[in-house]
Amino acid sequence: MVRPDPGSFRDPASHVVFHEGRVLRLFDERGLEAWRALSTAPFFSRETAAGRIIESTPVEDPTGTAAGAVEHPRLPLITYPYEWTFGMLKDAALLQLDLLEEALRDGFTIKDATPFNIQFRNGRPVFIDMGSFEPYRKGEPWIGYRQFTRQFLFPLLMHAWAGIPFQPWLRGDPEGPTAAQMRSILRGRKRLNTAALLHVRLQARMEDRLRGSAVRSELRTAGFNAELIIANVRRLRKLVASLAPHPSGAGWAGYQECAHVGRDRDTKSEFLEQILDGGHFTTVLDLGANDGHFSRIAARKGALAVAVDGDEAVLDRLHDSIAGQPIAVVLADLTNPSPSLGWRLAERPGLWERVDPDLVIAYGLIHHLIYTASIPPTSVLDWLREFDCPVALEFVTPDDEMVEVLTANKEEPELHPGRTEAEFRSLLDGRFKVESERPLGGGARILFHLIPA
Amino acid sequence: MSIFGYLDAGSGSLLLQAILGGLAGIAVAFRAFKSRITGKKAVDEAIASTADEPEQVTEGS
Repeated sequence: MVRPDPGSFRDPASHVVFHEGRVLRLFDERGLEAWRALSTAPFFSRETAAGRIIESTPVEDPTGTAAGAVEHPRLPLITYPYEWTFGMLKDAALLQLDLLEEALRDGFTIKDATPFNIQFRNGRPVFIDMGSFEPYRKGEPWIGYRQFTRQFLFPLLMHAWAGIPFQPWLRGDPEGPTAAQMRSILRGRKRLNTAALLHVRLQARMEDRLRGSAVRSELRTAGFNAELIIANVRRLRKLVASLAPHPSGAGWAGYQECAHVGRDRDTKSEFLEQILDGGHFTTVLDLGANDGHFSRIAARKGALAVAVDGDEAVLDRLHDSIAGQPIAVVLADLTNPSPSLGWRLAERPGLWERVDPDLVIAYGLIHHLIYTASIPPTSVLDWLREFDCPVALEFVTPDDEMVEVLTANKEEPELHPGRTEAEFRSLLDGRFKVESERPLGGGARILFHLIPA
Repeated sequence: MSIFGYLDAGSGSLLLQAILGGLAGIAVAFRAFKSRITGKKAVDEAIASTADEPEQVTEGS
């Protein structure tokens, strides 16, 4: 059975379908013609071999309706820009610019510029939308410039220059801020920066003045050419490469290695390794992954580790140090993960619809959900049970010093039942079976290997 | 139908690219703007206000 990818429909020339576990891109006549030309372009072969463009293999069209088809390797996890760290969006932006310049030099262009065309594979960005490449027509400007500024440049600028995280904005509006909105966001000396004057203020002004005007034929007649796009792309590349997270941005300045993060790490690692050695795990979901210590263990054992955390600074460091390991970084607040978004609420599925783990790590996590976020312990366990796989869980009793810190300003009636060891064990009944357990910190904390009941 | 038809590129953003292409681009922009009666005035104003007196550009103008 052929199932269309609900996120691939905007371009009439090609779209993605799933067929018997395979990922296929189907072309219409125009898309097929572009693909044939593209497949002979030197940059395309070079960048595909380098892993910066996803591999494509011509195949028979199983639907019999398309003019042609190629197969792509299936990526184990799809993530979206609102789940990326600053460094990830920056890496994606640089890839987009590099590929555009190389394409132009070989007589092609990229007709759009959206981070949704880029995914991360073992920490490195890979361009996944073959349909975006088109032969360059003499005199054409870069059609994707405005989209590049809204979905790459402005989100990075608002993060780097104004200290405003881009993820909530992109989650609310995946099209990204307009130039006019960006003009309102930038304050102080940054407003007078050359890049701000040109890409933000002048663009906002010209968009306003020239709305609806047909300008492409005039540009062509006036001698516009690919070299002008390349000059712009090179300046943009230099600008993007120079950007760093704003030091006062949430989570960046205050981040410090916390002593409790490393507590009993050896015992917890050993406990996890025993679980991993006892089975074959393809996808390990590390909830509250922090610096990715346990994700690395899972990756070393051959699984894809999905490292989820809400702390952007710590995840950005993890992203920088993945170096080809099978670790997927996902920035998410576990109490408010990415919902389904877009057209018919199917275009961008919610986070948990995209992750299918066969082991969940919940170390140093549930006491934050229970005490900080006031999630009832029953609900925490129901949620973990929904993953329908074993869980390596650290339970923290009310006697633990961390809990004393978390409850310093809370009184008993403000806390949910199910927090004591006895209560927690009774809540496990019917949900999970305890496969093994190990006390930590003199019994104030317990490691559980849980199997779905 | 345009090969790029599914994406709205924005007229102002397209013309801006000539300016962003550097000196050679500004010459192209000038030639393109010359053929526009209204556009010439608007863009000349935009360039002048941004290059010379950026603090004079008011929000929403």
